[in-house]
Amino acid sequence: MTSEPAILTHGLTKSYGHDDAVRGLDLSIGRNRITAFLGRNGAGKSTTIKMLLGLIRPTSGSGTVLGKQITDAEQNRRMRQRVAYVAEDKSLYGYMTVQQTINFARSFYSDWHVDAEKKLLLDSELPANRKVKSLSKGMRTKLALLLAFARRPELLILDEPSEGLDPVGIEDLLRTLVSCSADGVSVFFSSHQIAEVERVADHICILDKGCLLMDASVDQLRQSYRRIDMVFPSPPPEREFQISGVKRIRTAGNQVRIFSSGNAEAVVERARNLRVVSVEVAPVGLRDVFLETVREN
Amino acid sequence: MFFKLDATAGQPLYLQLMQQIRHATETGALKDGDQLPGIRTLAEKLVVSPNTIAKAYSELEHEGLLELRHGSGAFVCVKRRIRSMADSVHAARRRIRDLIERLRDDGLIDEEIRRAFEAELLFPVEIASKR
Amino acid sequence: MLWYKAWLETRSRFLTSLATLTIFSSIFVHHALYIACLNTFPCPEEVRHSGWRSEFHFLLFVNQQYVVLMWILAVVLLGMGGLLREKALGTSSLTLTLPVSRARLMRVRVAMGIFQAIVLGVVPWLAVLIISFRAGMPISVAQVGFYILLLVGGGLIYFAMAVLVSSLVSGEYTAPALTFGAVLLGAMLFDNWLRRFNVWRLVTGDFSIDRNTFLLSKQVPWPGLLGSLCVAALMLLASVIAVQRKEF
Repeated sequence: MTSEPAILTHGLTKSYGHDDAVRGLDLSIGRNRITAFLGRNGAGKSTTIKMLLGLIRPTSGSGTVLGKQITDAEQNRRMRQRVAYVAEDKSLYGYMTVQQTINFARSFYSDWHVDAEKKLLLDSELPANRKVKSLSKGMRTKLALLLAFARRPELLILDEPSEGLDPVGIEDLLRTLVSCSADGVSVFFSSHQIAEVERVADHICILDKGCLLMDASVDQLRQSYRRIDMVFPSPPPEREFQISGVKRIRTAGNQVRIFSSGNAEAVVERARNLRVVSVEVAPVGLRDVFLETVREN
Repeated sequence: MFFKLDATAGQPLYLQLMQQIRHATETGALKDGDQLPGIRTLAEKLVVSPNTIAKAYSELEHEGLLELRHGSGAFVCVKRRIRSMADSVHAARRRIRDLIERLRDDGLIDEEIRRAFEAELLFPVEIASKR
Repeated sequence: MLWYKAWLETRSRFLTSLATLTIFSSIFVHHALYIACLNTFPCPEEVRHSGWRSEFHFLLFVNQQYVVLMWILAVVLLGMGGLLREKALGTSSLTLTLPVSRARLMRVRVAMGIFQAIVLGVVPWLAVLIISFRAGMPISVAQVGFYILLLVGGGLIYFAMAVLVSSLVSGEYTAPALTFGAVLLGAMLFDNWLRRFNVWRLVTGDFSIDRNTFLLSKQVPWPGLLGSLCVAALMLLASVIAVQRKEF
């Protein structure tokens, strides 16, 4: 049971008229890890997540979450018992108080941990008897996240969880994510905060214009992506560097900067054969990997 | 125990952690029999994925540096040969100190020296031997 | 705790309507009675014997006209809300990702509304019943029962209409406006061409009243009531289907 992916989609597509919000998505999100879903605004991340949870119907394609078909209403409902989700808009009922909201959410889930709830409520300093409509945005975000983190589901899906949080709140969020993961919860979250993703994610998926551009382990990216800065006695032709793995070549006079997704050694060797004067190989942060990947598209 | 993992360095976090644990045993910050924090505790403290901690501990167990006792945690087992490694690390540090002094005398600034070291370190051993 | 949520969402509409309906009915009947009884309760013998009875029952019939109007208003407002409105307010992603089916969400909302509609029909008439006893002119419980049966049995169709419209249209003012429009239009059209099928007249007791005694003395119009309830059920079914199909 635990060997199947937490989320699996085949050719998942959502079109609105002529626009494809999501195109032929083949997603495979593994269990027992923290996977981040990166993409520009409008890339289709929220649309994908909504399809997984049954809020939207796919135009074509299929998917399963925890083994249950997303397009079958009853299977999807049973799956939602084992999944905790926090929407991008952090929806809450304005007319309920903080405590009423917690009591309400608690009544639906058997995986609720009352001690986790009490601790989170204490740490968040949320006023138990205040109505949600009079909470600040940050407090509302904390409450919406609390409703998910007070549970120990099999899968946690978060859509832009750090939006609306101050740096301390973000640190608490990441620590809680890590804590959930240590308890065996599979975590899938979409985010713009690349610095945060870089710290805690085991795996990332990059979505752009509805298509999956990358599905890789963060460690593997760290080991293979390199930026190579070289200075030559005279400008070499770019075609010399059309080696596999090279993503981008930029030249400025005698300087060449290469961005490669692997095989940096081959580039350096070619450079030496061309009598390079200086070579510097540097690692590439996740932000640059993301920007380059999306720019290519 | 103080560890610092750099998410933007070109090295997987679990490798960084492994190196830092090894270094701690070499300098004596971690002694034979000392217990390392549990996976969850360390993950929460460093705010990194528990898989990172788990992988580091597991690899170090393969190397023989750690002993993972089910239910109790990870314990250091420094064998006697490690002691002499601490000495060679000391010797290496002295050599590096001398080299750096000479590079500074040649007119290189510290930043250039660091970049040169990193560039050389990122080459796998094969390329170095081809020269 | 879906019932709790449904209660919190409709509580103020319900309690305001209940208060309005009960207070109006009470004041209307009490005031008219008081004057007719020459400002004394219990009503003096001479008033009671002078054929005032049928005028009293006419008074109750008039009360029902007003009650029907206010009840329909209240019940249409109670039928508002639902998932479409939640989408407009931004709370639908919480409700829809609960591990409950959309049909169940609808069932709870509708059941709460029906329960509230029944209470809104019963309580004002109970108040009138009590006043009639105090006045020494007790109405028969059967009469009160008949009025309530007509109101709720025939009138739930208006609640169903409101639920259906709110399952198709999400505007805070558009939905009730459209529903009221449909109710009025329906009443006018039916009155002109299909008077026998005009639910409004059924509900006010127009078809069941004896014009001499002003008592509801004819047979309970079971076919009419059942027909109205069937149409109501169909509308509710259509609402469930509309909501199940909708994308959020």
